[in-house]
Amino acid sequence: MRPVSYAVPASVDEALAAIADLPGAKFLGGGTNLVDLMREGIEAPDVLVDVTRLPLAEITETADGGLRIGSGVRNTDLAAHPLLRGRYPVVAQAVVMGASGQIRNMATVGGNLLQRTRCLYFYDQAAACNKRERGAGCDAAAGHNRMGAILGASEHCVAVHPSDLAVALVLLDAQVEVVSRSGTRTISVGDFHRLPGQTPDVDTTLAADELVTAVLLPPEPLALRSRYRKVRDRASYAFALVSVAAALEVRDDSVTQVRVALGGVAHKPWRATVLEEQLTGRSATDEEFERAARAELAQAVGGPDTEFKIGLAVRTITATLRRLRDEGGAA
Amino acid sequence: MTSQMFGAPVKRREDPRLVTGGGRYLDDLGHSALAAAFVRSPHAHARIVDIEVSDALDVDGLVGIWTHEDLPGRVGEPLPLLIPHPTLTHGRTQFALARDEVNYVGEAVVMVVARDRYVAEDVCQRIRVDYELLTPVVGIANARDGSALVHDDVPGNVACRMLQEVGDVDAAIAAAPHTLELDLDIERSACMPMEGKGVLARWDSDKGELRIFSSTQTSTGVRAAVAAKLDLPLAKVECIAPDVGGGFGVKINHPWPEEVLIPWAARLLDQEVKWTEDRREHFISSAHERGQLQQIRVGFDDDGRVLGLDVKFWHDNGAYTPYGIIVPIITSTQLLGPYKPGAYRCEFWSLYTNTVLVTPYRGAGRPQGCFAMERTMDAIADRLGLDRAEVRSRNFILPSEMPYDHGLLFQDGRPLKYDSGDFPASLAKLKALVGWDDFAAYREQAEAEGRRVGLGIGCYVEGTGVGPYEGGHIQIETSGRVNVSTGLTSQGQGHETSFAQIVAQELGVSIEDVFVTTGDTRRMPYAVGTFASRAAVMSGNAIALAARNVRAKALRIAADALEVSAEDLEIVDGDIRVKGAPGTHMTLGTVSVMSNPLRYAFDEAAKAATQFAGTADYSKPPVADDDEPGLEGKDFYSPTQATFANGMHAAIVETDPVTAEVKILRYCVIHDCGTMINPMIVEGQVHGGVAQGVGGALYERMVYDDSGQLLNASFMDFLMPYASEVPHIETDHLETPSPLNPLGIKGAGEAGCIPVTAVIASAISDAEGFAITSMPISPVELWELRQRHARGEIPSLRGTRHTPSAPVTSAPVTSAPSTPSREAP
Repeated sequence: MRPVSYAVPASVDEALAAIADLPGAKFLGGGTNLVDLMREGIEAPDVLVDVTRLPLAEITETADGGLRIGSGVRNTDLAAHPLLRGRYPVVAQAVVMGASGQIRNMATVGGNLLQRTRCLYFYDQAAACNKRERGAGCDAAAGHNRMGAILGASEHCVAVHPSDLAVALVLLDAQVEVVSRSGTRTISVGDFHRLPGQTPDVDTTLAADELVTAVLLPPEPLALRSRYRKVRDRASYAFALVSVAAALEVRDDSVTQVRVALGGVAHKPWRATVLEEQLTGRSATDEEFERAARAELAQAVGGPDTEFKIGLAVRTITATLRRLRDEGGAA
Repeated sequence: MTSQMFGAPVKRREDPRLVTGGGRYLDDLGHSALAAAFVRSPHAHARIVDIEVSDALDVDGLVGIWTHEDLPGRVGEPLPLLIPHPTLTHGRTQFALARDEVNYVGEAVVMVVARDRYVAEDVCQRIRVDYELLTPVVGIANARDGSALVHDDVPGNVACRMLQEVGDVDAAIAAAPHTLELDLDIERSACMPMEGKGVLARWDSDKGELRIFSSTQTSTGVRAAVAAKLDLPLAKVECIAPDVGGGFGVKINHPWPEEVLIPWAARLLDQEVKWTEDRREHFISSAHERGQLQQIRVGFDDDGRVLGLDVKFWHDNGAYTPYGIIVPIITSTQLLGPYKPGAYRCEFWSLYTNTVLVTPYRGAGRPQGCFAMERTMDAIADRLGLDRAEVRSRNFILPSEMPYDHGLLFQDGRPLKYDSGDFPASLAKLKALVGWDDFAAYREQAEAEGRRVGLGIGCYVEGTGVGPYEGGHIQIETSGRVNVSTGLTSQGQGHETSFAQIVAQELGVSIEDVFVTTGDTRRMPYAVGTFASRAAVMSGNAIALAARNVRAKALRIAADALEVSAEDLEIVDGDIRVKGAPGTHMTLGTVSVMSNPLRYAFDEAAKAATQFAGTADYSKPPVADDDEPGLEGKDFYSPTQATFANGMHAAIVETDPVTAEVKILRYCVIHDCGTMINPMIVEGQVHGGVAQGVGGALYERMVYDDSGQLLNASFMDFLMPYASEVPHIETDHLETPSPLNPLGIKGAGEAGCIPVTAVIASAISDAEGFAITSMPISPVELWELRQRHARGEIPSLRGTRHTPSAPVTSAPVTSAPSTPSREAP
């Protein structure tokens, strides 16, 4: 039996004090991931510091025309927000393709970024998992692992990050605002999650005493021409085998701007920088899309259960870019 | 006139309550009850060496811990084998708590009762069970091999071998111009009701009475089983099925270990005790179904008529056989569908494996049988180059041959004799609905667009409404309220509506005045249960008969009072009136007042009914010698045999040339369940059945590893179809009334799911140009079959159409596109 105590801080300062002073404390958002992990015995906090009553659930327009999304905004509210839907369709699409309606009603933006992998071996207490226990080994590498990573994995971990939202945020170069008692800082979403390396038990660059307070979306006209596509075993309530967030601008049949980020393939949302570099300035043809996609995936490593994801990623990227082009990527 | 109720698409009256949170399911009851949790075996096959509980004893809130050695008398004996059969020579059932050996992952070993479920689960975690591992037997092939045994005293793992033969099959096949052999494989799945099982028990120590609430499909069954196990008089036990969130078969097996243990603990502790199954428990310790290997040999003539059909199959019955061999018997008999082979032999072996039990799941053995027969029909058509629908129609039993006796014994031990059905008419409707004859042109056009499409068909006959009986009781209160009771239970089928429609129609009352109670042994102690698509047929007819009785009594009393002949009366909207003279009338409520001479007056109506009211004939007693007080009627319906409903489905699928994803473009259903009480409810049942069938065809499977661990025991990993996976279902009905019962009805509950696996296999085969023999099928599996087909390892269909070109390998890509690809809307 593990008794857990529960605290409801009245302010951000109180929350930061609680996390810093109470041993074994963890922030609790919507609870859609942490509570599951506690049930499974994967997470075992002593104190839950409920941050859902803090004033962090606002979406506001920033002076430069971007959006500031409070970390406590529920996924459902985020996806329904008119400014987000209008200016950043890829984000709204990514959110509604994640989880289920019930879960999105509870899940928060901060919690979404901090959710942990769905690797079956991470959940299976009988299996060795370096993410659960550093140095324990990784049974997933040689196991049944269709969901495994094909990019950026290490010998210590082949888990992937399950968030859809984060993939769209990486595409848009969003910033994560975090506070601790020593002050406020922002972290680029692309630097927020990490590759596993030697320490797959560390998911993010967030410090233990820091609280995510907001996500900042910069103004980005290209985002108007963005799209999220998610490939999975069932059309709803399933994690991505491969997902693609993409934005494309075409002028005179040439690619003037392109961005692509991938989900379901790596320990973090994967920004396809090789592709972006190779495709910019090229003609906006299916062949070029596919060539650039293949160049991005050249560094991919598949296993017996994940080899298919390489080809799937190439085709999904190509199809997503094609669709963006056909529906009016031209400026 | 009262509006026509029987046959009308009345909206389900229970739905507003159920969909707005007004339902009262098992876990909604017993707020202050103690909670039970179970330590379950983590091993598929092991001997229990030691159970150590000392670490658990100091947990605050613990009430008690029990292992098998604590169970007294019959509680400690094996659970009953509910349906024995002469061929079930090696039936085995489990103990409520495992005694020496566990035979599947999830078998209950220790029961813990505590203040709440949290504490109970914590205690479970502190209990250590030491096991000595034994070799697990997983999968039909390993069970059949027999080198390792599930039960030491069951040689070859064979629970039952059964053989039925009509005619001389070997001679018929030997003499046939053509023969074919098929090897087929169908995977395991499970019912997966939204609400798992659950039991709540209250012991009344003042009266020495036990009240059980169970999320069951048979409250009378649970009541009798618990009374026997606990050595209580039946009169001291009552069982109530509250709102039940789906059953689909898994809740007809009884008593589950928890249904014995929770009442036993409640009596022992003299406190309310509850257990609510969680989803993981449901996956690993509630029953599964499907799961057969089949071998078929068929001889047929040049026209495709089946001369001899020889079927062998091996059925995975899991670790125990509490529900007997109902599932494989149904497979072996219902396999024949609408067809009449010249000679038929079926031999099956029901085999033990170290996996959770197999008991009926919606369709109950029929999807397997239908798969075998329909794959055979397609194979015959392909061999002869004939149209698949034509081959089927040449084998149909004709309406003029009804009733048709197959010469076999059905699941109820009675002759397999079809009562009615018009198969040629059903097929004609299906062909028209799906556009059978236009499909070739559609395919040509699709292929020109680079799309690969296929058309599939499947026909079935379903024995529904099996006996032995159900009862109906109707009582009309002085307010005119009509209370209807039947003993079988409801799990969401709409009984509150369809039974009320029958009563409204028979009595001539408004449906708003009719109140239906099901599954309460206090109200109807004699009943069987809800399974085998039997509720409408059995209880519907019993209720209709009861309504006719109460109507006759009401007319008799009214005729006396109005001084007219009963034949001259009619009941309209609860009002009894003289035909043609509506001014002379009295309400059913008034008749109810008059039917019951009271001693005491408590309201105006009662005042009118006291024995001192009005004039009396002092020569007669207040209640006549041959009469009873009150306006009520009761009757039972017990048919000589089952009624046989039928249906035919067709689907058009598209298979992605690259990803091998299967998309159902159209799904068409012709359904004949005799006269329909409520076509909207029938369609709802069909839709739900098709949805479950789609799950069984394309998504759902139980993935056991070699050690007997269920790898996908969660809704994240066990893929049930969602609305996004279920096609739009086009339905048309044929109504050939059953001659066997007063209402002319047949069952509809299971129909929708029976042929879906066969239909989808047929359609994919048609799209791909090679035969699909193993279901369900995932995109990965289909993709691999394509590779094998391309390598010449799987023969092409000969058929009447060309085989589509070799699979498109997305040439520039280095890897296998072996995944379904689907994009959310």
